[in-house]
Amino acid sequence: MIALALLRFLARTPWSTAMALIGMALGVTSIVSVHLVSASISSRLDGLVPGALAEYSHYLHRDNLHTADYFALRKQWRAGALPTIKQLSPLVDATTTLEGQSVRVLGADLLANLPSVGVTDIAEQFSWHGAWVDKSLKDQLSIPINGIIEAPKGTLLADIATAHDLLGWPTHQLSYVGLVLGDAFAGPIETAEKLLPGFGAGFPSARPRLDLAPGWQLISTAEQYPAREFGKSILFNISALGMLALLVAWLLIYQVAVSWLRRLWPVFDRLHVLGVEWQQLRAYFLFSIGLIATLAAALGLAAGWWLASWLLEMAAPEQEINLHLDSWVIFKAVGSAIAVCLLGGAWAFHRSKQTVSHSYLPAILTLLLLAAATWCVFQPQTGLAGGFFAIAVLSLAASQAIAPLLIQLKRWATMIRGSYLLRIGIREALWHPAELSVALAGLSLAIATAIGVALMVDSFRIDFSQMLDHRLKYDLIAQGDNTALSNFTVTNKTSTLADRVQVYRNTDIRVKGLSMELNTTRMDAFESSRYGYSGSLAIQDILLSEQAARSLQLSVGDALTVAGETMTISGTFSAFGDLKPRLIVDDRSPLADALAAELQVDSVAFKSDQPGALVIELRKKLPALELRLQSDIRRVALKTFDQTFAITTVLITIALLVAAISVYIAVTTMRLNRQTGRQLLNTLGVNRTEQLMMNIALGTGLGLVAIIIALPLGVMFGWILCNVINPRAFGWTIELQLSAEALLRSCAWGMLAAIAAGILQGGDHEEGAFGGR
Amino acid sequence: MKKPSALNVEKISKHYQDGSRQIDVIRDLSFSVAAGESLSVTGPSGSGKSTLLNLLAGLLELDGGNMTLELKDKIFSYRSANERSRTALRRQHIGYVYQFFNLVPTLTVLENVRLPARLNQQRELERHAATLLDEFGLSDRLHDFPETLSGGEQQRVAVARALLLKPPLLLADEPTGNLDAENSNRVADLLFSSCREQNISLVLATHSTEVAAMADTRLHLDTRSHLNPQSQDRQSH
Repeated sequence: MIALALLRFLARTPWSTAMALIGMALGVTSIVSVHLVSASISSRLDGLVPGALAEYSHYLHRDNLHTADYFALRKQWRAGALPTIKQLSPLVDATTTLEGQSVRVLGADLLANLPSVGVTDIAEQFSWHGAWVDKSLKDQLSIPINGIIEAPKGTLLADIATAHDLLGWPTHQLSYVGLVLGDAFAGPIETAEKLLPGFGAGFPSARPRLDLAPGWQLISTAEQYPAREFGKSILFNISALGMLALLVAWLLIYQVAVSWLRRLWPVFDRLHVLGVEWQQLRAYFLFSIGLIATLAAALGLAAGWWLASWLLEMAAPEQEINLHLDSWVIFKAVGSAIAVCLLGGAWAFHRSKQTVSHSYLPAILTLLLLAAATWCVFQPQTGLAGGFFAIAVLSLAASQAIAPLLIQLKRWATMIRGSYLLRIGIREALWHPAELSVALAGLSLAIATAIGVALMVDSFRIDFSQMLDHRLKYDLIAQGDNTALSNFTVTNKTSTLADRVQVYRNTDIRVKGLSMELNTTRMDAFESSRYGYSGSLAIQDILLSEQAARSLQLSVGDALTVAGETMTISGTFSAFGDLKPRLIVDDRSPLADALAAELQVDSVAFKSDQPGALVIELRKKLPALELRLQSDIRRVALKTFDQTFAITTVLITIALLVAAISVYIAVTTMRLNRQTGRQLLNTLGVNRTEQLMMNIALGTGLGLVAIIIALPLGVMFGWILCNVINPRAFGWTIELQLSAEALLRSCAWGMLAAIAAGILQGGDHEEGAFGGR
Repeated sequence: MKKPSALNVEKISKHYQDGSRQIDVIRDLSFSVAAGESLSVTGPSGSGKSTLLNLLAGLLELDGGNMTLELKDKIFSYRSANERSRTALRRQHIGYVYQFFNLVPTLTVLENVRLPARLNQQRELERHAATLLDEFGLSDRLHDFPETLSGGEQQRVAVARALLLKPPLLLADEPTGNLDAENSNRVADLLFSSCREQNISLVLATHSTEVAAMADTRLHLDTRSHLNPQSQDRQSH
């Protein structure tokens, strides 16, 4: 009967019930859409690692790896000297040209481990001398094909002996050794990855100590596949941002629960007098909130699906959208909605039942957490998780600052001058810390995040634009088919229409075991200036991208040995958007000579006074090439940049919406508690326009309080995003620019949300628990 | 000699709808109050005292009958007035004192009293607010907020605010209902004497027979008022 009475209460308070439902559904929408987008991208990123290598957690590299080195290692392992290694296998991994196709040849010990994951067998053609290929190579090669594997385009998997034959390598040569290391956290992290795709990227790679002979280098999967790790880091960032709306939704549910309890408490009091236990009343109350949570989860799942489809279509219109509403995402949506609702409801019930005693414990705990967060900020080994922990702690500290700030502002409120109605409106915003502080905390967090992200994106855009200004010094770039490009460099190196022709070659290499890209070209003063280096690059000198310098822990002036050649690092350069660390040398350097066989033409750049005419000329001569004008590259680069941040804009908008609903609920509660005050003004003849003005003043007051907290918090978020999160996630540093536009834009949105919450009137006429007038 | 009526109430009625049931709160009620005179309205809870005051304030719309209020330059007819003009009437020509929550909590004592002057853009009356508060013994509380005042003090501030504009009609709904005997007498004295001195018509709803007895005329409403006509007694002081 009590449950029925509570359900009737929800029906009698349609505005607050609807707002709680919408706010919670928006929170669920945020996490569901982020999950679906992340899971979709994550599966594509996992596809970068061939299925045959997916089981390995680490890799062992050494220069000129010989089968004898492998057998010595195996002997050591068999003797029990390497107990953390569960499994090890020799591997061959190199790219070559087979029948005109660029093919990555993977050689593994298939006698021990036949490929099984993601394989479509072609049984009648099975041969030990055959290979397994990805679907792009199925009909391209004349060697026997045993099956189709899930692997990146152009991958071939074969037994080691076959791989040696295909690559033309001596039989003793190996690329590296794959390891499976025992890791107590592997299971929990795998589960967490299912709940939060990209979770693993938030933590630094485990680097277990192995008692290895000199010359071996232990590399984690993340270091082995930097492109995949780069993508997963983006997912971790998005997931963390997606949680913001859920956090604000939690504050909203608390606010709604407080609002309802204010009206229900007299009834509960009487029921308690009649003998109903408080625990029972709480259970009934949480049951009614749980119903809203379940409904919100269903709505959020549907809306999240739609939003994820829209975001993916916008970000990559050419790709097929393949979203899976699996049990994990349903569990996540329902679980988080119910958890948030029950926690928010229980917290509100607890605070309504007890007089809150003043304690220094929360302040002391917050101070300790702030100390831990500061430590995390300056310790790179705490990874992305350390950076986001710092953001979470700052948010907590800021939330706790709202109530004391309101109390302080209340003391100053007598100094407000001007219209009495404006005074009433603004003072109302400052007068009720107990009722408004939680909702204001949510609004402050949403505005601060908007500020932090806007500052980071604007700073990033400025740096990115500067990088484009440096790099885009050529009028035309030709890319595409390697053979056509190579032929062009031999036969058409000059053109009457081009003032300068620049040929770029590249190859993938390993430096200290880490996968990197080596670029070679003629590094004269003009070309060097594209990387911020003055003068020509000497043939013994090398330039490193910021990511490469960070991965290798080297700086300008240090020596670096690559492929047996020792070079001096003469500069580092920004390389936003690079998936791999990059090295640049002059094409006459000893390193370029040593790797001449592996270097392939990647692109050719032209400087010309008549780029349009040059395009026409080149299209006639080399129709297979892809030609791009400088202006097009810049436009596409900036468009891609903006599309990359579209999801962050959507997530922040959702968080702001939820925060606005939360403030609206808080304001409605405040009005219900002081309805007679408003009646008094009505009696005094305050008309509707004046009441609207008062409500706008109230909203403005709320917005100002939220902005006072959000502004410094947002700038701190921006600093952490630029100087902690970005270097740890992507290896690059962004110089934080305190752009007035970014600050004003975010504050304006926050202010609009607060004013909208102030002027919305829907719930003011809801009936109380008794439905009395 | 009987003074001319400032407030005329003629056969007014008001009902509420409760689902399909119509509840008559006031039916065919008539009375009049002259300028400077007072009328106390008594009756049990639910008899329609507050509804009557809300009708007089223009907060509720009449269902039947009419009321008129004599202003300086015209006679205001409630029946033909829309919400906007009733709001303007309340703002410029009616003072109201409630039992509870009489003051705006976010305005100081002085700001509360000055509020009607500000709303009507009569800045010259703002200076009078401090004088009025001084007369009411509140000169040392001008810049305090209502939450720091006692019930009696709050009610005196409310009376001061209601009187600031010297309105032709002052309505008081249980103004002493929440006060002890001493404060109750003080507030009632202030109300009746001020209205008399300033020629303000006072309509006061109360449960207190002592307070009701201070009025020139008494009107008793019954829960069964639609069955039994209300009684209106004129008293002499």
